[in-house]
Amino acid sequence: MEIVNKRTLDEIDSVLEFAKLGRDEIKSVTQSIYFSEQLDSEGIKLLELDTAVLTALENGERVIIRGDKEDSAVLCTESETFEVKLGEVSNALLIVPDMTLGSELTDTLLPSIQYQQVNSVMHTFYELRKMKPRLQKLRSLLEENPYAGQAAEGDVDHQGTKYTFNELLNLVQGSEREIKIALEKMQAIVIDGYWRVLDFDFLVQVMSHLLQLCDENSWLDQGIPIQECLSVLQDIFPRTVIEHVLKNFADKITPATGKDDDEKHMQIDIDYYRLNEDKVCRFFAEQILKHARKFNLSQFLSTWEKSVPDGMKTSVSQLEGIALIDRDSNPEVISYMTVDTLPEEISERFNHLFRIREKWSLPEITPYIKDLTTDKMDVTAMLTKYARASTLNGIKVYNSRKPIS
Amino acid sequence: MVQIHVKLASEKGGYQEWAMIELQGTLETRNPIPFSGRFIGDLHFTHKDVPILIIGHHILYGKVVTLEKPYGILVKDAEVTDRAPGAGQTSYTIRAVIRKKLLFKTRPKPIIANVPKKV
Repeated sequence: MEIVNKRTLDEIDSVLEFAKLGRDEIKSVTQSIYFSEQLDSEGIKLLELDTAVLTALENGERVIIRGDKEDSAVLCTESETFEVKLGEVSNALLIVPDMTLGSELTDTLLPSIQYQQVNSVMHTFYELRKMKPRLQKLRSLLEENPYAGQAAEGDVDHQGTKYTFNELLNLVQGSEREIKIALEKMQAIVIDGYWRVLDFDFLVQVMSHLLQLCDENSWLDQGIPIQECLSVLQDIFPRTVIEHVLKNFADKITPATGKDDDEKHMQIDIDYYRLNEDKVCRFFAEQILKHARKFNLSQFLSTWEKSVPDGMKTSVSQLEGIALIDRDSNPEVISYMTVDTLPEEISERFNHLFRIREKWSLPEITPYIKDLTTDKMDVTAMLTKYARASTLNGIKVYNSRKPIS
Repeated sequence: MVQIHVKLASEKGGYQEWAMIELQGTLETRNPIPFSGRFIGDLHFTHKDVPILIIGHHILYGKVVTLEKPYGILVKDAEVTDRAPGAGQTSYTIRAVIRKKLLFKTRPKPIIANVPKKV
């Protein structure tokens, strides 16, 4: 770090004189700045560090930048995803590692010099913008080989690729936690170390066995004793699948006579699950809708009512996010539409929705946009930005801001 | 998909705190190669900690700005050879963090120099 031709106090003083800057106006230490002999502006990169990212780094979390040839790069902590963008500055950024700020300078009696070096001059930096992870790919990857039972695994339709969690991390631009949450939402399950989605018809089979068993044992009222249920069904279906179905369609019941004192428990704790009426009825609706896509509404409602288990009641609210009801047509119709087939990008999503239907009321559109909310933008904010509000027959409706192609 | 690990420097007491000067315009800094080792200017601070930079015939007044988001200085790690774990992966280490900068935005005031009496 040898600096040749080091400036002297005399040289500094003469410049101060020309500049008409008195020694009494400034602190005693002057930092004379030089370009380093090893000036290198290519060897480093500047990355703007969001608080969440710096905290993650300080906590020793895994922080990874992931990029595809087609996609732009993203930075993932263990729980958040950020877009990485290259920013340019018109100003020059001189990196001076050891430069001291005025407040840190100790004033000395006599003037003195510190020699400082600029080791890089930067005109670009990378900035981070928090984003929702791109997860649509996750679903399409898992749908390459849905699980349809052990017997089917060997057949010709089930030779598609299966993915472990690490392989998914490698292919999807999102953080670990966000991917795990998405997998749960998709009701995906781990079978033999691979993440799978259940083939719908297979799921129908499992449910119908389960419901039949419940019916035979009057378990719909009392609750399903899990161990007993597993011991009967595990000959037909893998245990993990049965547990998975129970977890997704039933609620665990806390025993009414639960005692806090575990040591005094002499009986085996029996875990009970009670089937969730809303989830089961919704499942039956999906079964019907998937087959024909579009239905006469009143026919659908009566078919649906008859299909659900005895004692369960259907309700239109259970269809939120899976079906679209058109009350303007004659007769009224209902069609199958799930949010996971819709575009991920927000303006594309709105375009798509407005192409399907010109005007939407708030309760109609909410299920199809609420997955896109962020902490900065809720449903109301989204509608303000991407839609135009008007009133139709006393109800507030939303339509597109621009002509739809 | 390419995966690049980023971590904070851990040896020698961890990452350092560095500083930065932001200069409006380019001055003489676009072509740094011939300037290696060259003197740039003198940095003074007033008693109120206002930074003053004298470069050539210009005097620039600036201010200390705390960055809203600190900059990390990323340095690419050497490629890992075959048999070691993590081979073939690119990684970066954050050697330093910059939290404040000296921003010189005001138009430089030219110093009207007399013929120097003595250097």
